[in-house]
Amino acid sequence: MSLLIDAWTVLAVFSGVFFFLAGTVGLLRFPDALTRLHALTKADNLGLGLIVFGLLPQAVDVWMALKLIVIWLLVLIAGAVVSQRVARVARAQESGQ
Amino acid sequence: MNGMWQVGVVRWVSLMLLWVALIGTHSAALLVGAIAAALATWVSLKLLPPDRSGLRLLALMGLLPRFLWQSLKAGWDVARRALDPRLPIAPGFVTFTCPYRGVHARDTFAAISSLLPGTVPCGESEDGLEIHCLDVGQPVVAQLTDEAQRMAHALGEDGHG
Amino acid sequence: MADLLLWAAVIVLALTAAGLLRLLRGPGAADRIMAGQLFGTGGAAVLLLLGAGGAYAAIDVALTLALLSAFVSLTFAVYAGRAGTRQALGRGEE
Repeated sequence: MSLLIDAWTVLAVFSGVFFFLAGTVGLLRFPDALTRLHALTKADNLGLGLIVFGLLPQAVDVWMALKLIVIWLLVLIAGAVVSQRVARVARAQESGQ
Repeated sequence: MNGMWQVGVVRWVSLMLLWVALIGTHSAALLVGAIAAALATWVSLKLLPPDRSGLRLLALMGLLPRFLWQSLKAGWDVARRALDPRLPIAPGFVTFTCPYRGVHARDTFAAISSLLPGTVPCGESEDGLEIHCLDVGQPVVAQLTDEAQRMAHALGEDGHG
Repeated sequence: MADLLLWAAVIVLALTAAGLLRLLRGPGAADRIMAGQLFGTGGAAVLLLLGAGGAYAAIDVALTLALLSAFVSLTFAVYAGRAGTRQALGRGEE
């Protein structure tokens, strides 16, 4: 049972790491600010989500698990709000230059 | 005024529960939490008065599995394009006329649509939401129309909200 | 298990550091704000991995980092947006 749980953790955590890789590659490779924003908001948020998902069964008690979920929700909501504001900045930047 | 108090108390209690979950139940921490939750409730009532938004939290929670799935698809879509040596992207703008009447519903939809595959909202014009797409070849407007329909009830936009 | 989580943390840290190249290169304010946002998300991931690996206090640090970085990114984005509007209107910086 614990082997199965550990396998779940490793699978989810390293899938998360993969999306962090994709996010960084996108942030460096994509041609302009708005396309880079896609890489950041989609890939990195998902990366963090998968890591949290993987770590949940490793939590020592229910409070720790709850804390992990709250952190992820916080980053998710903040990401959605910030990405809209950054998109406006990026758009002004691209049409102005 | 009565409704305002009711909503305020519900929000304060919810925030207090969140505080206890994060910090624990030491008496000194509880005092700080009570003050912080009161301030947060006051700000939330200023920014999101109860009568203005028809958000249905439970219905929104019901859509959570779908959001997670979409977020997974979105991440995969970006990863695939970023890691492909040919970098297959065709970025561009699309204007999406959001069918909602309420301002809060439109804002919430814009925030959620930034998690959907291939779309990042970047402001509103007279014609609607300006959406930046990673690939304009995708049927972006059709997808967004579909999502807007699915979310209409949760955002209080199904006519009798 | 703790070893594997530590490795995952090291890799995410390296990826976050690589992403910070965007901070140096820019070219615009939006690119730099995004690099900062990556620092928040990536940093939270690293701290959570360390935390679940046994350093439980790191989870509280992750919570604080996630919260602070969200406000910092938002502040910079709103400020950059306003500065951009002022410049477009030809009123300079103040």
